[in-house]
Amino acid sequence: MTRISDPFLPAVDRAAFAVALADRLRRRGVPVGLTATQDFVAALAASPPATRTALYWTARVTLVRDQPQLARFDEVFDSVFGEAVLAVDPHARRDGRGGSPPREDEVHAPPPAGASGDPIEAAGLPWVTLPSVVSGAEHDDAYASTVPERLPTDVAGAVDTPFEQLGEREAELLGRWLETALRQWPTRRSRRHAVRPGGHRVAIRETVARARRTGWEPVRLVRTGAVDRPRRVVVLCDVSRSMQAQAVAYLHLMRALALTTHAEVFAFATSLTRLTTVLAHRSAQTAFEEATERVVDRFGGTRIAHCLEALLASHHGGTLRGAVVLIASDGWDGDPPERLAAAMARLRRRAHTVVWLNPRAGAPGFAPRTTTMTAALPHVDLLLPADTFAALLRVPAEIARLTGRDGRTARPVRPLVSTPWT
Amino acid sequence: MSELFTDAEDVRRRLAEVGHLVDVGTATALYLATVLDRPLLLEGEPGVGKTSAAKALAEALDTPLIRLQCYEGLTAGEALYEWNYQRQLLAVRLTEARGEHLADADLFTEEFLLDRPLLRAVRHQGPLPPVLLIDEIDRADDEFEALLFEFLGEWAITIPELGTFAAVRPPVVVLTSNRSRELHDALRRRCLYHWIDFPSPERAAEILRRSVPAANEPLIASATEFIGRVRALDLDKAPGMAEAIDWVSALAALRVSRLARRDVVTTLSAVAKSPDDRTAITGALEELGYPEEARRP
Repeated sequence: MTRISDPFLPAVDRAAFAVALADRLRRRGVPVGLTATQDFVAALAASPPATRTALYWTARVTLVRDQPQLARFDEVFDSVFGEAVLAVDPHARRDGRGGSPPREDEVHAPPPAGASGDPIEAAGLPWVTLPSVVSGAEHDDAYASTVPERLPTDVAGAVDTPFEQLGEREAELLGRWLETALRQWPTRRSRRHAVRPGGHRVAIRETVARARRTGWEPVRLVRTGAVDRPRRVVVLCDVSRSMQAQAVAYLHLMRALALTTHAEVFAFATSLTRLTTVLAHRSAQTAFEEATERVVDRFGGTRIAHCLEALLASHHGGTLRGAVVLIASDGWDGDPPERLAAAMARLRRRAHTVVWLNPRAGAPGFAPRTTTMTAALPHVDLLLPADTFAALLRVPAEIARLTGRDGRTARPVRPLVSTPWT
Repeated sequence: MSELFTDAEDVRRRLAEVGHLVDVGTATALYLATVLDRPLLLEGEPGVGKTSAAKALAEALDTPLIRLQCYEGLTAGEALYEWNYQRQLLAVRLTEARGEHLADADLFTEEFLLDRPLLRAVRHQGPLPPVLLIDEIDRADDEFEALLFEFLGEWAITIPELGTFAAVRPPVVVLTSNRSRELHDALRRRCLYHWIDFPSPERAAEILRRSVPAANEPLIASATEFIGRVRALDLDKAPGMAEAIDWVSALAALRVSRLARRDVVTTLSAVAKSPDDRTAITGALEELGYPEEARRP
């Protein structure tokens, strides 16, 4: 920790400084709200930072609200305040021996090689108290041409073909159908109770409230019962080359599930990408565009076992507990089948139901003969064809049928496949 | 109104006095939470000391720690307050037997009020505010998160029959989360946020020295190095600080003074918490610096 002349920020307009830093963070994709900015100003007033380290922690605690944004915050802070702060920053140390290896699923959109360590923008913050040369430099065209903003390069351009657009009518039809179909989604009994006739417990609060009308004599008992919740859904969609034709349709299914059942959705090919937040965007167009941007490894090879292991080990692995897991893949895998079998067995122990959607299963005479499918099938509750929209739309009903009317009935003997190849 | 701490360094020093070592980031976060009167959301891998940070804070301030453990279905009756209905009904019978008149206002007094953690934190009387620990908020459901909003924003709880209770001094609120579920943005917005990272090897050694006095220096040095290397392996559940303390305690209990392969294997269950991890660590023992010992004749 280097001691810098005290105070560290002499004669700086705190509000302007905070707003400028927040603005820069926002431009880099760190969502900094007004409350956070206000907190930062209050913190600067409460304890003016004497060192850069102090400033770093003050800014980080007040401005950042979620762990995945920390890396980007570090980049911006580094670019603004010169010398690397990495030496004092435990987050950056994670790559070293003291830290844990970065989890695959958290690397949503890795920046192109070389850009991560570099300062993003060389210009300083628009300090109000600094000479105008620096603050104006950003808006100077000549300046912009000499010090360009580092943007993602076109290294990944070869795989950058957008997800094909679905026909408008088809998409609309699919959306409408899915909405109605999802009403039959399996449920689970939650621990939350609500007043309802025929419940198991006596609700003392409500009973006494009612007893006030009858001279404090609890004449009628009010009962509560457990509330049913839709079962959690986790969707894993294969976006490798062999699944290119189905990718768009599956993206629609994932979006419908993310919106109606708050499903966790992931796309995988050679690595796992979480799409839950992206696909939940109100506009379908924006959602799909952002998803296209997010998935950097699409239409390449497949490593199902590796991606499943990554999901099980990540902190999203907890969402698999008691969930209905949908895996949409044709079962062409680059990993050895033993690894997939082990990963599927672990997944099966954690999840409530595992459903495999295979676009090839609809073809007449189809048999799950690939080594991957034979390895995975013992751990799958239901193998469903998913080659057409109609088949896709049957999925919720099939799952509801499998798990019983209210999702609480006993599990069937595994594996249950509705065609004669078993 | 006196400040609880003078600066982040003061937090670090006073927590160290009660035997809890924090890095400058955590100290800054705790200091800002007390000085800005904002709740602090602590996240981090399991076993990095989120809960113990809150406990140590209460101990350092010498104020009560009020703890609310979250779970699905947690309701207002368990988190805020509840009326003691049994006593109310008894009071009704008693006055009836005496032939006295009983008004509603007589039944809904503080005498019949059961304080639950959040109300207890608000009604706390004392020179210093209490530390309220809302533990594992990710285990509660959305309904409970929404219930927290009024409390976290206003430091007040409204009881329709009695009125609004407002805290004299806002309690120091620490929320912890293991990220098993994404928290709502509205909750994040109301809180300061700090991600606790696994401590550096030197700090880890210092923590072990404090928590396991029975262990000697070479053992702690080799154990911290071992844990650091194990964390770099591809494991399902990387050992945290809690595991490291357990492990060194186990080794100290077995009177190990120099770490050998045999000791690592026999006590591995304190570090590896799943069969896969156990296999992975045992397989990597060679490169971790604990090769198979040559059989002595």
